[in-house]
Amino acid sequence: MIRVRRKRVCFFCQSGMDYIDFKEEKLLLRYVTEQGKIIPRHTSGTCAKHQRQLAQAIKRARHLALIPFVTDFTR
Amino acid sequence: MAIYESIVILDSLIPPKEIDSAMDRFSALITENNGKVRQVEKWGKKRLAYEIQKKQYGFYASIEFEGEGNIPVILESEYNYNDNVLRYLTYRYDKYKLKAMASETPAVNKAEKVEPKKKPVIDIESEEPEKTDFENNDIEAEADSDETVEENKE
Repeated sequence: MIRVRRKRVCFFCQSGMDYIDFKEEKLLLRYVTEQGKIIPRHTSGTCAKHQRQLAQAIKRARHLALIPFVTDFTR
Repeated sequence: MAIYESIVILDSLIPPKEIDSAMDRFSALITENNGKVRQVEKWGKKRLAYEIQKKQYGFYASIEFEGEGNIPVILESEYNYNDNVLRYLTYRYDKYKLKAMASETPAVNKAEKVEPKKKPVIDIESEEPEKTDFENNDIEAEADSDETVEENKE
């Protein structure tokens, strides 16, 4: 059986967002995993143009301690 | 002349007077080197996402300025010299940011050009953060990417 994949659309293209601001922590946190890694675009569906900007924004936000580099899970 | 923004995290334990004097010093450095301060913004005391120099909290402040490329270098040396600066980030506005600025508030930009000496200080604590609609829309990817989600859980 071939699983039919729903086509994902880039959230930023859809909402008409030109510039991704690194000060919006909540927005950026949607695009990192629980551990704090950047979600690849084949998973999130972000287009190449916006993924580049997003990666830049996440790295800047991490540097300014707005979002964590890593989140540790103590077991 | 390019537009830059410089964000500094200052030690939150120092008195507010010292924060003001430090910000004045940075602004003075910009104007001394033929730069133009557009906006000084104090974000206030915020919790850091991780500890910096064993500190949990920091005082965020940003300066938006116009100038040549030598100013970020001068600012950087000043930041390194100042012990109260925990972290800093100076970046140049790229074409996307400039485009967003132009489309967002063309009237405000014109007003700023008419009165360049005005230095608005905005207290961000009094303002309510803008609500965006992205919080409501769940990420669509979750349903489709079962494999990656499982990997993360492990």
